[in-house]
Amino acid sequence: MTGETSSTISSEIIEMGAACTIEDLCLVCNVEAEWISELVEHAVIEPIAATGPNWKFASLSIARVAKAKRLRHDLNLNTPGVALALDLLDEIEELRSRLKTLG
Amino acid sequence: MEFKDYYNVLGVERGATQDEVKRAYRKLARKFHPDINKDPSAEAQFKEIGEAYEVLGETEKRAAYDQLAKNLTSGQEFRPPPDWDAGFEFSGASSERSSAEASEFFDALFGRMRQREHASRGGTEFHARGEDHHAKILIELRDALEGATRAVSLRVPEIDATGHVTLRNRTLNVEVPKGVTEGQHIRLKGQGAPGIGRLPAGDLYLEVQFRPDPLYRVKGRDLYLELPLAPWEAALGASVKIPTPMGPIILKIPPASPQGRELRVKGRGIPAAEPGDLYAVLKIVLPPANTEKAKQIYEDMARELSFNPREKFGV
Repeated sequence: MTGETSSTISSEIIEMGAACTIEDLCLVCNVEAEWISELVEHAVIEPIAATGPNWKFASLSIARVAKAKRLRHDLNLNTPGVALALDLLDEIEELRSRLKTLG
Repeated sequence: MEFKDYYNVLGVERGATQDEVKRAYRKLARKFHPDINKDPSAEAQFKEIGEAYEVLGETEKRAAYDQLAKNLTSGQEFRPPPDWDAGFEFSGASSERSSAEASEFFDALFGRMRQREHASRGGTEFHARGEDHHAKILIELRDALEGATRAVSLRVPEIDATGHVTLRNRTLNVEVPKGVTEGQHIRLKGQGAPGIGRLPAGDLYLEVQFRPDPLYRVKGRDLYLELPLAPWEAALGASVKIPTPMGPIILKIPPASPQGRELRVKGRGIPAAEPGDLYAVLKIVLPPANTEKAKQIYEDMARELSFNPREKFGV
């Protein structure tokens, strides 16, 4: 029913220093470019340098866009809703983390 | 297999209207969504809720399910009679739910539509780049500080020659680069779904997440260390030895340090071109009054120091 295969592979990290383009975000997260623009308009993600049509984003944006997509798709949230949800989730995470430290 | 009572899952009566079903689903979906609910059982519950809504939310499927479920209860042993769905017309739209995700129950009843779809594909020459796959990789903080090679186990749903979905176990040894932070992605080229025809396989993206560390709390590239101090160390100041990822250092505690003060040690967080910082969060710990001597010292303090911590209450 299930089989096992094993292999050793070296990986290419999506560099912290290197940035990704809108195209990269679209490919990795499987979303449309128009929606990426919308996310920028709502400050969900911010381009590193406002270089007009050639926006570059920090590679950390990938995780944020993926999460935004899940919220949009699973909970039928519109973009302002997604933006608010992400901010609140960040805050909750931070508070939980601090609570753990206080013991 | 076990019968699943979808009405039970959504918390609605068997006679609920479609609106009531939809409302119940929406409320539960946002409660159990794994991005929102961090409980380990949330994901499984979310999937079950989605499955229940997929059946009860659609008139055709609900009617067929009601017919089938007339006298059954949750958990009961059950086998769908042949042609159980005769007379019900299902729209061609196949379920979004992949076979691997669906419960055995759902798949037995509603899964075959997809298999028919796949079977009809053969014949024409068809080229497509393989899909990218996404997964999460859980690493220890230590791995990020020093770099490491970690084994990642993935379960990949595949359609085999007979049209059945199987789950293949796949183990990859991945190089985790030094200095990686939470939320970053590691891309493994060509490790996604195989391409069809002449086009290449897709890539595998692994999102990095840290397991909780016994010592440090991680925030981006910064590390937070809870630093216990004796009351005299906090009151009078002290030089204390603390651990850091790169080895222990001596940290100077200023006098009159309150509980919760954060002392920043620059550059001692996660390494990088611009490394993060280490924050020692002060926690004042009381020596126990468990010997006569200790009790005496505390009583002396109470008597000699005029100290009212509740002064501001004004009572």
